[in-house]
Parts: sequence; C-alpha cells; structure tokens
Amino acid sequence: MDHKNIPFVDLARQFRGIELELTQAFLDVGHSGIYIMGERLESFECKAAEFCEVKHAIGIANGSDALFLILKALGIGPGDEVITATNSFIASAGAIVAAGAKPVLVDVAEDFNIDPQKIEATITPCTKAIIPVHLTGRTAAMDEINSIAERYGLKVVEDAAQAIGATYRGRRAGSLGDAAGFSLHPLKNLGGYGDGGLITTNDSTLNARLRLLRNHGLRNRDECGIWGYNIRLDALQAAFLEIKLAKLDAWNRRCREIASAYREGLSSYVQVPVDQSWEECVYHNFVIRTEQRDQLMGYLNKKGVDTRIHYPIPIHLQGAASGLGYQQGDFPNAERYALTMISLPIYPELNDDEVCYVIAATKSFFRRKS
Amino acid sequence: MNTKNFLPEQYQSTNKLDINHNYLQQQFSDHDAIWAKVREVVVRGDFTLGSEVDLLEDEYAQLCNTRYAISVGSGTDALLLSLKALGIDKGDEVITTPFTFYATIGAIVTAGAKPVFVDVDADYNINSALIEEKITAKTKAIMPVHWSGNPCDMDTIENIASKHKLAVVGDACHAIKAMYKGRSAGSLGTIACFSFHPLKNLNVWGDGGIIATNSDELADKLRLLRNHGLVGRDECAVFAYNSRLDTVQAVVARHLLAKINHITESRVAHAAYFDENLHAIPQIKIPLRNADKYQVYHIYSVCCQRRDELARYLIDNGVDAKIHYPIPMHLQPAASYLGYKKGDFPVAESIAGSTLSLPVHEFITLEQQERVVNLIRAFYGS
Repeated sequence: MDHKNIPFVDLARQFRGIELELTQAFLDVGHSGIYIMGERLESFECKAAEFCEVKHAIGIANGSDALFLILKALGIGPGDEVITATNSFIASAGAIVAAGAKPVLVDVAEDFNIDPQKIEATITPCTKAIIPVHLTGRTAAMDEINSIAERYGLKVVEDAAQAIGATYRGRRAGSLGDAAGFSLHPLKNLGGYGDGGLITTNDSTLNARLRLLRNHGLRNRDECGIWGYNIRLDALQAAFLEIKLAKLDAWNRRCREIASAYREGLSSYVQVPVDQSWEECVYHNFVIRTEQRDQLMGYLNKKGVDTRIHYPIPIHLQGAASGLGYQQGDFPNAERYALTMISLPIYPELNDDEVCYVIAATKSFFRRKS
Repeated sequence: MNTKNFLPEQYQSTNKLDINHNYLQQQFSDHDAIWAKVREVVVRGDFTLGSEVDLLEDEYAQLCNTRYAISVGSGTDALLLSLKALGIDKGDEVITTPFTFYATIGAIVTAGAKPVFVDVDADYNINSALIEEKITAKTKAIMPVHWSGNPCDMDTIENIASKHKLAVVGDACHAIKAMYKGRSAGSLGTIACFSFHPLKNLNVWGDGGIIATNSDELADKLRLLRNHGLVGRDECAVFAYNSRLDTVQAVVARHLLAKINHITESRVAHAAYFDENLHAIPQIKIPLRNADKYQVYHIYSVCCQRRDELARYLIDNGVDAKIHYPIPMHLQPAASYLGYKKGDFPVAESIAGSTLSLPVHEFITLEQQERVVNLIRAFYGS
C-alpha cells in the first residue's frame, strides 16, 4: 500500500472544479455594488426554500445566529428552558444562552442524536422548546420528538447545522419542525467562503418576524418596528452558495457512497453508523467508535489519514456549563462516545483510491494488533 | 410589514442618478488583486479567523494607536460584544443619543440593558452638559456616537464617566481616522466600535466590524465572546456568540486600508468645499465645526429650510440627496415602551426635520460638487 496523505478537509479540490462560476459570481456581485441584502440573497433564499421543501428560507450571518434568531422570534428568553442534546457543537447550547434561556441537556442514543425516550423527564413548566440536533447529517427521531412537543405545547427547532439535504421519512431536514437553523460555514456540506447560515420555516408569521429581526428591526429605511440585530447573510456568500446548492444533491450522494464503502469495509472492526430505512443521512461526518480510539487516531495519522473527534467534551462537561449543575456520569452514552469516537475524512472530492486507502489503513491497525 | 428582503434606498438609487452616495461600483474596478488573494484564502482553507484577520487587526490597532483591535461580524456586534465584555446586562442602563442609527440602540437592548437618551447639541452629537442629570444607580456606561465621523466632547464625557465609575463605549462606526485633540477615535473612552459596512469610510464587501481597546482584559474577553467562548478547538469556557469577520473580507479591508488616507482626505476636502460654498446661502445652516476635532465626514450633512422639497429637487436633478435620519430613536415605534414623546429632545427633533446629506466620497469630482452647489442656489433663488 503506497503512502497517501488524506487531509480531513480539502476545499481547494472543490474550488478548482467550480472556480469559473465562482469568479463570475464575484464579478457580478461586485459590479452590482450590492453587498447587503438584494437580489442575489433573495435568489439564493428562493432556491434554498425549494431545496428544503419549505415555504420560507432566510439567509443569516451564521448557524449560531440562525438558532438564536429563531428562539428570539418565538419569544423565548429569560426564565425559559430549552431542551437539546449534550453531544453537539457548543453553539447549540450557546444560542439558547444568548437568547437568555437555560439549556436543558439530554443524553443521546446510538445514532448520536437526542434520545427521545429521555426528553419527557426533563420537561418543566418553564420548557418552551426542543432543539433536536441532526448530528453528523442524520435526522433526529422527529416523529417521537414532535409528538412529545405537541403533547406539552412546545416548539420544535431543528438544529440542522450539519444536515442540509438529509431526509426523514421522505421529508427534508428543515421541514420537520416549527423552524430550522442551518450553518453554511465553509466546512459544511453546503458552505460559503465565510460564515453563513440559513433559517427555514413554513410559518409565514414567523418568517416576517425573522426578516425584521435580522435587519435591525427595520420596516423600511427610516422606521424601526422593534429593536433587532444585524445578522444577515452577505450577498457575496449567497451568490457563491447558490452555485454550490445546484450541486449539493450530487455531492451528498457521493458522501453517502463513501459512507457505504466505509461501512462495508470497517463494520467488522469498529462500530459504524447505520442508516435506518426511513432516513437518508448526508454524512457531514462519518463517525466510527472503537475502544482503541487514541491508538487508532495516532496510527492513522502516521499513515497520512487525518481524523478528528466530534466532540471530545460533551456540552455538560464544558467549563461554560459549570453553572448548569451537571456532573460527570449524568449522560453516560455521550460520555462513552466522547472517548471512543473518531471522524474519518469524508467529502465528495475524495476519490475511490483514497477511500480504499482509509479503509485499508484502518483495517491494518486492527490486523496488526491481533 | 415588508417580508421581502428590505433593500436600503441608497442601493435602489444606484445607476439612476448621476451623483450618488454609493460608489461601490467604482471601488470594485480595483478587484483583481483582491480576487487573487481571496483565491489564496480559499485554497489554503483559511476561512475562519485566518491570517489575514490577524494582519488586519495589527494594522488597525496601529491606525487607532491602541494596543488591540478585535474584528467582529458587524458594527452592531462590535457594540453588543463590547457591552457584554463589560458585563452589562439586564437591569442596567446605558446613556446615549437619540440621533443615531438603529444599531446603537439595538445593541444596548440586545445586551439586556435600557437605553437612556440625552439630547444632542448643534454639532449633532450628544450634549455632554446634559449627561450627568440622567445618571442613576443603574447606569453602567455612556455610549457617545461620533456622528458622521465627528468626535464627541470626549474630555467632558470621560470626566463624567470617571467620576461616576462608568464605562465609555464609543460608537465610532462612522469615525475611522477621526481625531479628537490629537487622539484617534479608536483610543477614546474605554473601548471603541467601528463598522466595515460597505458604505463606511473603510469597508468590506459584506458585513463586518472591529473593536479597538487598550484593555488586556477586554481584548481577551472579546476574543472569547466572538468565537463561541472557545479556548482551543474543543474547550468552551463561556457560552458566547459567533461574530467573526470573514477572512476573505479581511482581505478587502486590508486592501482598502492602504488607501485610507486618500479616502479620508478626499472626504475632508469635499466637505470643506461644500462648507465654503454653502455657508453664504441663508436657508442653509452648517453644523458647528470645531478646531479640536478632525472630522472625517462619513456623512456630510447640513440643516436646510424646506428640506423635503430641496431633497426632491436634488434627486429630480440627478443628485442623491439623503436624510440621515428623519426619525430620531426616541420616536421610533420600537422605542414606544420607553415612554418618550415628541418634544423630549428638541434639538435632535429639529435636526431630524431639517438635515440633508450630500455625497462627499472620494470619487466625487469638483464639477459634480459645483453642480450640487448651483442646484441648491437655484432652488433657493440665491
């Protein structure tokens, strides 16, 4: 096996494939002189709404702000509680705190997503919403979550930061709750060349409120209806994103193909993620689990395969969460996974040889050991 | 309610008038060097808080003569994060001016605090003589707005703040390169906030902002607050925000920063031309100019009689006359819960009713300025 270097991400490859289109978009936006709001943003929003199969899509400065803004538009603030998963990027809880509310954390199940069976026990009279995180690009158990939410009169806000294009029982992520927040950060399946985010919803009243809030609360140039924020998606990023959105289904298909190859090649050595019949995961990350995590990471690193951990410290054990009163042992699944997870490189531009190399390198670690 | 993307009027008028406030198409003519550098950032994958951001922050701190400059997602966020870094929260009060852009107040409200207004003076800036009577036990900060790039009366404001142990958060969004008694706008007060919005004197091609301060403690807190509270990749010390200047936008800012002297000096010269040629028109009142202050004219405005008619006349004749802004903050629908009414801030209200802005950016020519002056003379029959 010849040595290869396989970076965890390599956006230069994708860029080379679409450079002409991107350059043209840059020139078009620049010559228009319209960098804030405007037609390019509207055009991307229309296409994104269509893609996510929802009525409204609203471009936002980033994924954290998307969640934050949804919570504010739903009237969630000080004194309220919002339930979310402890195994997520810190922004899922950060957005709740920024809105003034208290994050209430719940352990995850085998699929790394919030365990719906553990949600009800955490509901109090202060609970206003549930934020299921579609981690790694796999939708959470939305039927169960929506039915709990309905029973208790809670809002459901999808944290779809990693899940653009994923489906759940034939419906796209972003259309599965009251509203959804996406991240369009460069490293996401659909990413710009700077920070970006998106909100989707079918609720027209919420849509109007979100649009007001993201742009200073301005009804028009001279009149401010409500003190708002400045969290708009840049027109330039919207133009880049529109080009990429047209290719996203194909890119996601390729990620699923790579995931299948990894799963087939590695399932006898490590725990691999499994697709249920009702879902299509878009594999923002391909996360395997093994008791020999650190050794395997070191070995793969020597073999030139770059890996990551998403995430080594669950939210409830972060310094920032010390005021929330959790302790080690509260969420045994998330804690165990944090010690055993590794994310393998997965992006559409990985070629078959590279995928085989990652599989072979991983196998050789276990064969060498036994 | 407008549920479509609200497009600011200054953009809608682009291409329709001869003499515009918006010069971004001219600015873009210089795009080759920028695209080449953006390309490098993309190929390196250096998108988030990349090396161009570090370089910009160093250069900007130097320009402000401060120890630190911390870039953020927008001018609004610069204000919000500064307030949060100072620990301002629910129940606190922040004193500011009603004659400002919405974001000044939006940031105070987002931080959880209550905006307390003080009327302005004839120079459009907060009247420092009226501040002290508004200070209560809840007051935590004063937020002077260096409106249009004209520094506030900072000696008095800093004295009041130090006497009452208040922070001074400068809204310097208009005031890059402005000076007060030899001190740069970025070095005035506890902390100073700038906007890189596309139409600012120093801009990027999207939203962006930057904060200048000499405080080690505030600089450290701001770096945490703008990036999820992360210390390293995996550890979160405090729940925070995502408010970063894109690396690709830092490329644009650095490119334009190299031209900031020309940009500023052009604006100052164009403003001087208008001052000189408009002062003889009795229906026009030029705001007080002060030799202690180097005003950088992000906006050039004068008070005019029959303002709305004059604005219409200028627009009909191809000149992008604007009003920054016709409704002061205390009279905005968003402020109704604060309990202010018409007449509470007579100077701000009078300026809002008579102010008119004329383009003075670096691409305006002498011929264009002459045309504007002649049109105004013709309008008043002088």
